[in-house]
Amino acid sequence: MRAAAALILALALAGCDSAPKVVFADASITLPDDPIDLPEGPGRDAVIENCTACHSPSTMLQQPKVSAEKWESIVGKMRKLYKAPVDEAAVPAIVAYMMHVQSLPEASR
Amino acid sequence: MNETRLSRRALIAGAGTAALAAPALAKLAAGGMIDLVLPGGPSLRPTTPAFPGKGEMIVQRIRPPLLETPMEVFREGIITPNDRMFVRWNWDMPTQVKAAEHRVAVGGAVKNAVSLTLNDIAAAGETVEVVAINQCAGNGRGLSSPRVTGTQWGNGAMGCAKWTGVRLKDVLAKAGLAAGARRVRFAGLDVPLTDGAPQFIKSIPMDIALRDDVLVAWGMNDAPLSILHGFPLRIVVPGWFSTYWVKMLSTIEVLTGEDDSYYVADSYRIPAQPITPETKDFPTVPVTAMPPRAFITSHGDGEVVALGKPLVLDGIAMGGDAALERVDLVGKGWEIPCTLGPDEGPFAFRRWSVKLPQVAGDFESIGVRARNVNGAVQPEALAWNPSGYARNVIERMTLRAQ
Repeated sequence: MRAAAALILALALAGCDSAPKVVFADASITLPDDPIDLPEGPGRDAVIENCTACHSPSTMLQQPKVSAEKWESIVGKMRKLYKAPVDEAAVPAIVAYMMHVQSLPEASR
Repeated sequence: MNETRLSRRALIAGAGTAALAAPALAKLAAGGMIDLVLPGGPSLRPTTPAFPGKGEMIVQRIRPPLLETPMEVFREGIITPNDRMFVRWNWDMPTQVKAAEHRVAVGGAVKNAVSLTLNDIAAAGETVEVVAINQCAGNGRGLSSPRVTGTQWGNGAMGCAKWTGVRLKDVLAKAGLAAGARRVRFAGLDVPLTDGAPQFIKSIPMDIALRDDVLVAWGMNDAPLSILHGFPLRIVVPGWFSTYWVKMLSTIEVLTGEDDSYYVADSYRIPAQPITPETKDFPTVPVTAMPPRAFITSHGDGEVVALGKPLVLDGIAMGGDAALERVDLVGKGWEIPCTLGPDEGPFAFRRWSVKLPQVAGDFESIGVRARNVNGAVQPEALAWNPSGYARNVIERMTLRAQ
């Protein structure tokens, strides 16, 4: 019996033709905090309430200077395409805030 | 990390007015600011080593993460260390993945849909290593003139690594392609926060999918992929922009027709023919294969060089979707061929260098121009497009002699 068991074990090992070529371990990460760092200005609250739940403020603050119409279209894309829960009534305030921020010197943004 | 480290105004204050340094600002010592010299600005970005597994990176966005590699990282060698490789996520990714529970569903136009474990994937075929450049389609977007909206990258949304995995075609063979299979689409674990928003899914044509060097990869420079780089598996398509290198791979779907999903049909597209900023309503094609590029890494714009002395310039170049053929140093009305360094494969960075016998004066607006074996060569003028994709204009700088 013992010899038969040893043979079965040997066959099992032979069936496992090589060691696994890669060993996958679990992975986890703790991402840095995302401070809501927005300059003061009219409409700032509307931006905090409608925009920064999904992405950092830098997404907006780092954009080149564009027109109010462009900001309107960007907010529209967030609402219609990305289904961002942006209050339609807040859109003018968001646009006004971005126009204000883009009028500031870079060092004060 | 503490909240002040990435505070934009605090960092600017810290960078510009050291005399005001208060105890709170001392905590910023590990981070800094960098000027990406984007035309018209805003151009300053914080840098931080605060992301786990990452060294000093340029912060374009904390959430979802967008981290750019400082150009100084490209000064030596051709491999970008894992802790300096750029990071780009369209949507938030899970911050924890259990290896034993992860599955890759292979379905669509296949003979037998399968759900594969990581060990199934690793055993699907021969283990393959490819050295290849991973470059964001929007790399250099912030340098566009006129400027365009989107992530305002400098030129550091690129890097070169050795990728290890199995061939995608061997994984596809676990399910078997059905008749009419035309494209292969990938999805990862990163999903939109909002219901109804498009998931970041991307597809490639079958002839690309079946290439011997297109991988389902788990290794990056001999280490497991980190969460930020797509643990546990990502697609690698050497020569194509990294938008197709889907991270945290969880679904492989074989399509029988065109892909009408948002990130293929409506986004990541470039004009089919050259346009100007005034052009409206033009046909577009997906941004796919990378064009050649080259960079001077030994010197920065405006740097001073020694008058009357020899000067060695060097840097990195890439052929894009074909091997690099040559690199020339170009100025106003002159060009000098450069010497190429060791060849690590057609899709890797390759170093170039050139020795100038004597600096006779300022070098105004010099650059390096790469050409690949297919004859693609970097253009003098930017092929402007409204999304700032596939930048490969010759990058210029001026060196002052004194």
